[in-house]
Amino acid sequence: MNHSESVDCTVKPPVFLQIGDAKGDSARSGVCVVDDLATDINIEKITFKNYYTAYVTIRLLRRKAEKEGSAKWCTALRDLALMDNPHTEGGSQNYFSIHRRQMQVEPDHVESLRLILRQPSSAWRLFNLEEIRLFPHKEPAPEKEVSDWLSNLIVVKQPPDLEGLPDPQTVSSSIQQMWALTEVMQANRTTASIGRFDVDGCYDINLLSLT
Amino acid sequence: MADKEKRRSAAIPSGMSAGKAIKPDSDVEFLSQAGVGDLLRGALLKMVEARSDDPIGFLADHFCNLASVTDSSPAGCGEDEQMNGAGACAQEQQHLNRALWHLRLAHHSQRSAFSNNVRVAYDLLNVSGCQRQAAEVPDGPDGSCSDDPIGAGEAGGGGVRGGLYTQTLQCLCSEGGVPASTSAPLLRRLHCQDHEVVPYDVFRHGVLTCAVFSDYIRQSQKLYAEVCCPHEGPATRALCLAVLGTLKEALETSAGCEPDCCINANNKAYACVESNVKAIRYLEASAKISPNQLAQAMDGARSRGPGGNMDAKEFENAAADLFITRVKVVF
Repeated sequence: MNHSESVDCTVKPPVFLQIGDAKGDSARSGVCVVDDLATDINIEKITFKNYYTAYVTIRLLRRKAEKEGSAKWCTALRDLALMDNPHTEGGSQNYFSIHRRQMQVEPDHVESLRLILRQPSSAWRLFNLEEIRLFPHKEPAPEKEVSDWLSNLIVVKQPPDLEGLPDPQTVSSSIQQMWALTEVMQANRTTASIGRFDVDGCYDINLLSLT
Repeated sequence: MADKEKRRSAAIPSGMSAGKAIKPDSDVEFLSQAGVGDLLRGALLKMVEARSDDPIGFLADHFCNLASVTDSSPAGCGEDEQMNGAGACAQEQQHLNRALWHLRLAHHSQRSAFSNNVRVAYDLLNVSGCQRQAAEVPDGPDGSCSDDPIGAGEAGGGGVRGGLYTQTLQCLCSEGGVPASTSAPLLRRLHCQDHEVVPYDVFRHGVLTCAVFSDYIRQSQKLYAEVCCPHEGPATRALCLAVLGTLKEALETSAGCEPDCCINANNKAYACVESNVKAIRYLEASAKISPNQLAQAMDGARSRGPGGNMDAKEFENAAADLFITRVKVVF
């Protein structure tokens, strides 16, 4: 993972919700808010390391491109299962990556991200997501075209003094032939093999045991 | 020539097997019974393919070849078991000579003609006890072998003997005008041991590489002559190194375009990008050996390069080295 690609974001400490004063019931859930201090970004993917979270819901605060100041919350992903069984260990400490294609809405112009974590099992009282990283969406680099290369050619000035030097035209023509012949040889390589088993020309049985 | 004529009268031409007693009435009948039409057609086709500068010499060689084929085939099969070492050697030499003759017919740049000739040469060398020169006789197999010689080239013979293959390569290099010392490193990469069996692909690759190498060495000799003048003495070391350096750079630039670099055939978009990248690399490589670049390199070498001279042999070896390091070792 290329750490330099991820956007800096501030993760607030998780807030565990409780119903009334009761503790230890299934409605207990953790809410983790990730705030993005930068202006709106387009998310390519979100990666994190799980810590005993069973389900995660992702909500996005998206700003509409044309209207400044009005932003709406929407659900990008609802109840993604991170653990096969909330009571057991499976998936409890796995690394996950959520791509923009997996989201139900386009994660563009995102101001804020809210991850709602749920762990219905009473076996795991503390749960969280760690190492949360956001990767911005990058436009694919345009393919290098032959025309680009041609337009980048710099006209070389003729060296002033060719006295005593062989004619560059004839030398170049010979070299081009030699280059072309070598390319022909390389282009006609074969993958067929004789099927040799020797090591450096030797079929000594002791060497065979080493390979 | 006289004894050959005597022997030919004893061998029965295939067209006349049944009709010996019947005298042909007209010229047309005589010619069709002798199978001359097919003979001449085969000769003309070969000539068109080879486009030799000496048509009469070419035709003479061709018919000599055919004559030696039909001479040995009736006798050859029966003598296999009784053949002693010397006899087998002589016959192998005959096969080798014939194979080399075929390989000389077309230049490697005439791709389909050259491939055909390589195939014929391979089948010639790929003998397994039975005579398999039936590929050359226009009327069909004459010996006791009943299976199709072209189709069963590999299944029947299994491949060319390693020693014979190495000899073929050596002859090709020396006939191409390459001194033995120059071609030795190349042959070390391509040669096969006598006990090994060479499949068709390896044979073709070896033959093509040697043919291309002889052209390459001839070009390098021409290049040395060009680099020498206008001094008319041995060329300066600096100049030679500069010139070979540009070639080396060009080869390294285009080195990424090898056909076996991974291309996902399922992804057409990626394949387009790959061919674009290849085209750009070829253009970059060719720009390095343009006359302007060479003029700059030579000008720079004159002022900055090492002193002393380089003789023709050393130049040839250096150029050969650039080629040979890029030859894949047979494995």
